[in-house]
Order: sequence, then C-alpha cells, then structure tokens
Amino acid sequence: MAATIQHRIRGRPAHTPGPTFLTYTPDGRRLITAGSNNSVRVYTTGSDGEPTNVDDCQESNTAVVATDDFFITGSEDGTVSMYSLQSNTLEKMLLRCTLPIRDIALSPDGNWAAVASDELVVKVVNTQDMTRVLYLREQSKPVKHLSFDPSGTYIALSCSDGVIFVYSLSTEEPALVKKVDGLIRNLETDAEASSRVAWHPDGRAFAAPTPTKDIQVMSNSDWERQRAFSSGHAGDITAFAWSPNGALLASAGTDRKVLLWDCKTQRVIARFDYPNVMAIAWHPTQNLMSFTTSDGEVFMYNDIVPSEYMSLLKKGVQPAPFIHDPLAETLANGNSNGIGQKEGLRRRYGTPDSLDDILGSEGGGDEDDFIVDDDGAGYAERAEFPLKRPYDDYETEPAYAPLAKRTAYEHYRPRMHTPFQVGSTPWRGNRKYLCLNLIGFVWTVDQETHHTVTVEFYDRELHRDFHFTDPYRYDKACLNDNGALFSCSPTDGNPAMIFYRPHETWTTRADWRTTLPPQEHITAIALSDSYIFVSTTANYLRVYTLFGTPFRVFRQKSSPTVTCASWRDYVMTMGNGPVGGDGCTRLMYTIENVKRGEVCQSEDVVALPPNAELRSVFFSDRGDPCIYDSTGVLLVLLHWRTPGQAQWAPILDTKQLERLASGRKEETYWPVAVAADKFHCIILKGGDKYPYFPRPLLSEFDLKIPISSLPAATADDENSSANDGPRLEETFVRTSVELNLMEDLVNATAATHSQRTELARKEVDVDKALLQLLAIECRESEDKGMKALEIVELMRDQTGRMLEAAEKVAARFQRNMLAEKIRELAERRLAGLEDED
Amino acid sequence: MALPLPPGLTPPEVAFLCEMELVTVVPRQRLEGLELLGGTTPELRPPYRAVLPLWLALLLKRQRRANILPPPWLHPSSLDTILRLETEVHKETFSPPPLFPPSNNNLHETRSAPFLPSCTADAAADALPYHWLEVGEILLDAAPDDLVEPDTVRRLMRDLREVRMAKMRAGVAVLDGGAVVGLKGVGGMEVSEGRAFISGVIDNLRKIGASREQSRREREAEERENGYDDADEDEDMGL
Repeated sequence: MAATIQHRIRGRPAHTPGPTFLTYTPDGRRLITAGSNNSVRVYTTGSDGEPTNVDDCQESNTAVVATDDFFITGSEDGTVSMYSLQSNTLEKMLLRCTLPIRDIALSPDGNWAAVASDELVVKVVNTQDMTRVLYLREQSKPVKHLSFDPSGTYIALSCSDGVIFVYSLSTEEPALVKKVDGLIRNLETDAEASSRVAWHPDGRAFAAPTPTKDIQVMSNSDWERQRAFSSGHAGDITAFAWSPNGALLASAGTDRKVLLWDCKTQRVIARFDYPNVMAIAWHPTQNLMSFTTSDGEVFMYNDIVPSEYMSLLKKGVQPAPFIHDPLAETLANGNSNGIGQKEGLRRRYGTPDSLDDILGSEGGGDEDDFIVDDDGAGYAERAEFPLKRPYDDYETEPAYAPLAKRTAYEHYRPRMHTPFQVGSTPWRGNRKYLCLNLIGFVWTVDQETHHTVTVEFYDRELHRDFHFTDPYRYDKACLNDNGALFSCSPTDGNPAMIFYRPHETWTTRADWRTTLPPQEHITAIALSDSYIFVSTTANYLRVYTLFGTPFRVFRQKSSPTVTCASWRDYVMTMGNGPVGGDGCTRLMYTIENVKRGEVCQSEDVVALPPNAELRSVFFSDRGDPCIYDSTGVLLVLLHWRTPGQAQWAPILDTKQLERLASGRKEETYWPVAVAADKFHCIILKGGDKYPYFPRPLLSEFDLKIPISSLPAATADDENSSANDGPRLEETFVRTSVELNLMEDLVNATAATHSQRTELARKEVDVDKALLQLLAIECRESEDKGMKALEIVELMRDQTGRMLEAAEKVAARFQRNMLAEKIRELAERRLAGLEDED
Repeated sequence: MALPLPPGLTPPEVAFLCEMELVTVVPRQRLEGLELLGGTTPELRPPYRAVLPLWLALLLKRQRRANILPPPWLHPSSLDTILRLETEVHKETFSPPPLFPPSNNNLHETRSAPFLPSCTADAAADALPYHWLEVGEILLDAAPDDLVEPDTVRRLMRDLREVRMAKMRAGVAVLDGGAVVGLKGVGGMEVSEGRAFISGVIDNLRKIGASREQSRREREAEERENGYDDADEDEDMGL
C-alpha cells in the first residue's frame, strides 16, 4: 500500500474563499481558474510568475472550460461569458439563464458548450453562433454536472434527483439514449459533494461516484456496472478525474484526502492530504495535476505520479476497467472472422482529437498497444481471463491492424471460425448465460473471487432449480433432462476439468469431476442422453459415459475445432477445413455414432454463404442436425444417416418473416432449438447480439421454406385466395422435407407405432397440398392442363385413392381431357407400368 | 312488465363472457389435455406455448403453473400507437377493430368475439379487439408481472378508456336530430357501460319528441275538424 506522501506543496491564493474551479487548455499551455471573486486567473504552465488576471467578469463563478483559443465561464448570476485567450478580454456573452449556472461542458471539438443551470432545461449552445441552441428537456430536476464523451456524440447529465441522463447529440434533435438510475445519489445542485460523470478516455465507459463513497465504472454499450474504485475515501467524493490516457484516476473527498488510483488493479497508489478540494485537472501531457480548493487556493502539483508508476502515465490510451473486457475476449478468441469488430476498432483510431493525437510523438509509437501487450504484464493476461488463448501461434500477428497496413506488407492469412459453445453468451457486465435451451437455462455471476452458478428449468414440476458457489469458474455448460454438465478452463497449475451433476439419483452422490491432461483447453462440450462429449484444443474428441467412464478418444480430422453437438449416440463435430474462395476457412462437420463406431458423414462441408458465420448448431427434437447462420437462415441436414448423401435444406429464413414485412421492426433472432416443427428463438431488439437479463421470453415461429418473394397473405379475406398458390407450393416443399426426414428416421431406428402413423400422415399431407394445387390450376383455365397433369404425377400415393380424388377435382371443373389423362395415369400406376427414372 | 333488471348484459356478465377469450400461455409444468365441455384443451409441455381459454389461464396463473403471454396490443408501444390513432387520426370515430384473420375454408366459421384469436400472442398489434377493456383489466389485475411495464399499460388503458368514453358521450349529442352514431370498433364492456346512459338519452328524446308529436297530432285533428283543406296541411308538414 502506498504511504502518505509527506512532501507538501504550497497552495497559491488565487481567489477569495469559496468554490473555485479550474481547467487546462487542451494544448496544456495555460491553466485557468475561476472563483468567487470577480477575476479569472490564467496561469502559464511551467512559469512561476504571476498569472494574468481577467477582471471584467462576473462574481461567484461556478464553472470554467477552455479551448486553445478561448475560455468560457458561468456565474451564479446566470450569465455564461466567453473570453478570448489571445487578448484575455471578454469576447461575448454566450448565454443568459434566469437561475444560477451550475456547470458547463465543452464538446471535444470546442464547437458546443452545454450549460446546466438551476433551470430544468439544459442548453447546448454553439460557441461560434450563439443563436444555435439545442435543448435537453427530459430531466425533471435541475442538473448538477455535465460531461461530453471523448467523441462528443454523447453527453451525460447528472441530475439532482440521482438519475444520469445520457443524450445523443449526433442527430439533429438531441435524443435521450438512456436513463441510469441508482448509480449516483440525490445531491442539491450547490452541494459540495460531486455526482459528476467522467468518461473514460477510451470512450467505452464512464465513472461516477456512488452513495457508498466509491467510484463506479459503467460501460456505455450495455449500461452494466463494471469495476469499482472502492473503500478509498471515508467522506463524500468532491472531485475526480481520469488521467489523459485513462491509466490513472485521481479523486478527492471530504475526508481531506486526495488519492491516486491505478485503473487496472483499482488500488490506491498514492495518498495526499489536501482538504476541501473542489476540482481536479490533469495536465494533458506532463506529469502534472492541478486542483483547487473551496478556500480559493490553487495547487499545481508537479510530478504527482510517483516515479515507479510513471510507466503507467506514459502509455497510450488504456482500456477502461471492465470486468470482462469484450475487446480482450474477442482478441483472446484468436483470429475471428468478425468483420464488424475490426471496423469498431479502426473507428477508435480515427477519432478526430483522440488523446493519442494530442500526445503526439509520445504516444505515436505505440498506437496499437491498446491491444498488444507491451509491458509483459498487460491486461490481456490478467488473472480474470487466464486462458482463452487456445491458438497462440495464430494470434501473434496483430489481428486487428488497420486494413491498409495489413495488405501492404503482411502475408496472407485465412480467416477462421472461432470456437464457440452452443447456447452460451459472452460476458456482459459480470454475468453470462452458460447454456440456454428448451430444458432450462444456466447462468453465472462473477463475484470477483468465485462465480455463482444458477440452473433454472422451464418445467418446475419435473426438476428443481438449483444454485451453487463455483470456485472453479466454470465457463461452459450443457443441460438436458438427465443432468447438467460444466467445464472450466485450466488455470495456473490446475488442468481443465469437467463436472457432471445428474438431476436425479438413487445413491447419495452421483456427481463426478474429471480432469484433462495439462495444457489441454476445452473448446466445446456436449451432453446427450447417453454420452458426454468434450472437444479440446488438442483436437481430441473425448467421449465419456454419463457416469464418468472414459469411453473413447479420437482426434478430429479438421482443425482447429469449432464446436460440437450431440443427440443420443450421435455426435456432430465441427472444425476449420481448407480455405475457401472468400478467404475464409470452410467449416467441416463429421457425424458419428459413437456407440456403434459408425461414421455417418465424414468431413463434409457445412454449407454457408460467403462471409457468413455459423451462429448455432443443434439437433432438433426428432434428432436432425440443424444450423443457424449469421444471415438468419435455419437449415436442416437431410439424409444424414447415409454416408455421402447429406444435404442442407433451408427451412426458415428469418429475414423473410411476416413480422418484418412492415420494415419498421429492427430485430434479430437468437436460435434456441427446433422442436415440434417450430423454430424456437429469442427475439433481440435494438442491435443486441445476445440475450441478456432479465431472461427474455422464448418465441416460436412456424417453419417456412423460402420459395418465392410474394408478399404474405394479407388479412383481407377476398384476396387471400390469390396467394393460395405460393402458400401451397411452400407447403408442398416443406412437407416433402419433413417426410424425407421422417422416412429416414423410421427406416434407421426401431420406430414406434406413433412414428409410423405420423409418417403415413405426412405422406397424405404432401398429396393433399398437391391436390389443392391441382384445384387452383384447374380453376385458372384449360391451358394449364399440362401443369395440372404434372402435379398429379408428383403424387406419391400408391393406393390410387389420391389419383381418384384428383380425377374428381378435374371433373368438377369440367376438365374432361385432364380427367381422362389422370385416369390413364392411375391405371398405369396400378399396373406398375410407370417407369422409374 | 316489472322486470327488475335493465335490458342487455350487465358489465359483470360481459366480464364473465370475456373469460371465454383464448390467450397464449407458457406453462411452467406439464399437464395432459383436459376433456371439457367446450372441447379438449391442448396438452401443456413447458416451455412450449399453448392457447387456453382465459379462465383456465387465470386459474393456472394463480397457482403459478403458467405465465400468460400478453396479447401484442397490450404492449405499451402498441397502446401508445392506438391512443395516437384515437386522438389524432380518427378524431370523431373509434379506432377500427382488428381485421378478420384470413382463413382457408369459409364454412363453419365463427366471426364473433370469444372465438376469434384476438387476445393470443399472434393477434394484431395495432387494433383493439372487442373485449379489450375486460381482458386488459383482468390481465393487469391477475398477471401484472407478465406484462411489459404494467404501470404504463395501466395509464395508457385509462387514457384510452377516457378518450373513447368522451367520444361515446359526444356521439349522443347528435342523436337529437334522429341521426345515427357509428359504434364500429366499440368494445363489449363499453357498450354495456354506455347502454344505460345512451338508452336513457334516447328514451328521454323519444318522450320529448312524443309529447311534441302528440300535440301536433291533436292540432292537426283539431284543424281538420275545423275544415281546413289538404293544401294547408301540406304547408304545415313543410314546417
């Protein structure tokens, strides 16, 4: 722990006692302070001389902000004044409010100044043209603090009723993005304690003081609480500020302490005793921090960061302290083919006045060290994500370097599919779903020292929900009617482990654990009614029985492995195969019956369109392999039990769902299962990629093969018959697919009676659809006779009854010629004369 | 003629009938199909959705054996849209009722309230069905935890109800001239609540009209007795 530093600097009396505020100009050359007397002082950095005084200003200033050319002050008499820094004189009165000004924030480009006063409305005024004003009106109480995010797109308002309002200013009219309740406390606008929001310089998170005297970090992508700087202050926090690169945090409280925190560890690295600090400002480039007190004094503290921590201040922009950094996770997952993520990062480099630009040559050399770990103790290897680097050799290259640089002087590298566990989501905040399926769901909460895992079931009568403390940090799970399977990654010294817990047992203890050889990471696990499958980075597929007896181990042919799924004795494994035409590896799958040791499909291609990714793979309730890809199409594998015959058939295109027809809805679907001829999924709105808490409801959609682009049947009764044709055609193709699957199932297994009846019913369904199609063709005109006959020829029925019915349909529409031909066909069929192929 | 009850269904009766409406539930435990007078209920298997009559769904909900999926029109955003329709687009009339679902066979089709799937999870989101008020109130009362933002829903339901009641009362004003008020899109509960008021108004109007009519007839009779010819009578009629 850092000792209190004894060396004291002397405060310079700048203003009469009272609240005093300060700011640095972005170039760091000047420090401007404003206080309760009618004078603003402009100090020049590095000079000990007397500051320049600007005397033609108001009394009781409450805020000051500056660019390189001008500065703006706000005063309790409600005026906002703008001063030139060249001449140090009043330039203009920017804005006038009826009530005292409480805070001013300047957008990073200096074009907009947001002004909070005791009025309810926050005004954002253009500094060049003061007639252009935006109003932020959603809050119901006056606003105490304001702050722009580093890109200037968002502004956070700390309202005096304890709610943070985040507005987006990228649109013409400011739009409320989020109300964050319960993070800051209720504070009067003139209270000494602070409820300020401070955006982390990397722009992905902000920090705010909580009622418990901590400083809590919250990410602005999902509004989840991340790490907190806790138990540092004994009194309310009055001021805090991130260092320009976000690696350090300085805070001051009513306990007369000023603390310096290391962001990565959230530990205090230095303590200073300075009472009544009201505002803190870091110098943009030097090891210099200034702060003002409510006694009207200003302290300029050179070399405030102890020399042993100087390396922290010298780095480029550091990542915000996330619990599970999404960037670190993508990185650790190796060379993903996520195209969008790449762009996300490049945008960061391009921010107009990012801190790296300001830092200039100092930060120039290590622009990429945001990700590349330069000091050997970087965050990518933090204890929190100990592993997740299965393929070290693939990621020594900076995977996300700007594209231009890549193509210029780097050799070609294929994009690969990243391994994933079916039904799990990535960390968001401190929670993630380990498994989500039709049986129930498993989720885990990161409690710093351990995790807590909760398993809940849909059917509460059949199973009992359970909950346990998990010291092993399980990161994958499977759940079915018999039991729950968990696995964890190896940590230092401990090998990877799997843990199976049956739901029911007639002995005292039936759960078991087993470990894998050292250095072997688990990429995916699967649980079926009879076996447990573990796919590892050594490319092994390890098969265990339900009671933990190792059953088989074999090496997968395609590598590296991606995922696996299982159903009864069948297991489907997926891995990266040879490189395809789009520069991405082809995904290969193998289906095997482990009990009989039969390979059903060996190294066949998973049919994906160019640049699409696999989102999920699972077996349907009848045991047919299904995949869902990033283009929103659900496919089923036909004839997969016969080697070489497998074929992917689309059974639902979620982009063509009727609910999206209006074009107003913006939603995606997170696949869960295919059961009872329905697609079960979770609807994700608002650009979410994964389901989150509270657990969203499952939705179900009927299967619909994408056949034609005709609009779906309108609600208008009269017109619905016009759409009958395409609808029936779709029914015909879909029932044929279902019939194919059913036939395979009945032929391959000892089918039950109900399955056989269903097969017969499906056969009738196909013919019924054809019969209805025939009726439509007959109704249309005589000219459609050829097509009508072809439809009849498609009928599968061997008994002749369907052909009889078809003949009747033709006769009803007086298509006598057609009826005659149908009769001939029926006779030929009965006699067995029809030639096959 | 001393029947104590007013004619028509009373609000409690309407509320009772509305429990025939079908709603979608997500069961929390298994239940075989029940052989009931109204037909067999579907087998319940979590987490598959099932369509049940409202009374059964409420029973299961109270026993915490099922969650009710609110119909799409009971979502705050849809209610908000409908409220905007009521106040901005259809300023005089009521917002239109949901369209009939397309069907294959036109035979054996029921087109009346409890037999339309107007309160299931795939109902139309932008129109209020016949039993909207009752179903909304019952769900707010029995299953607020299954609704999205129940407080907002409650507020919007009240707003809608007030807007439509005001329209109903405003419609009565034109009845004096013997005009007709369109009641398309009015819900069952609204009709039964408004019945006493509207029929009272019409009765009174008729009474006022009847005395006027009576006096006119008497005058005519008197005039005829006094020997005025038909032409004059026609002039009177013209007035």
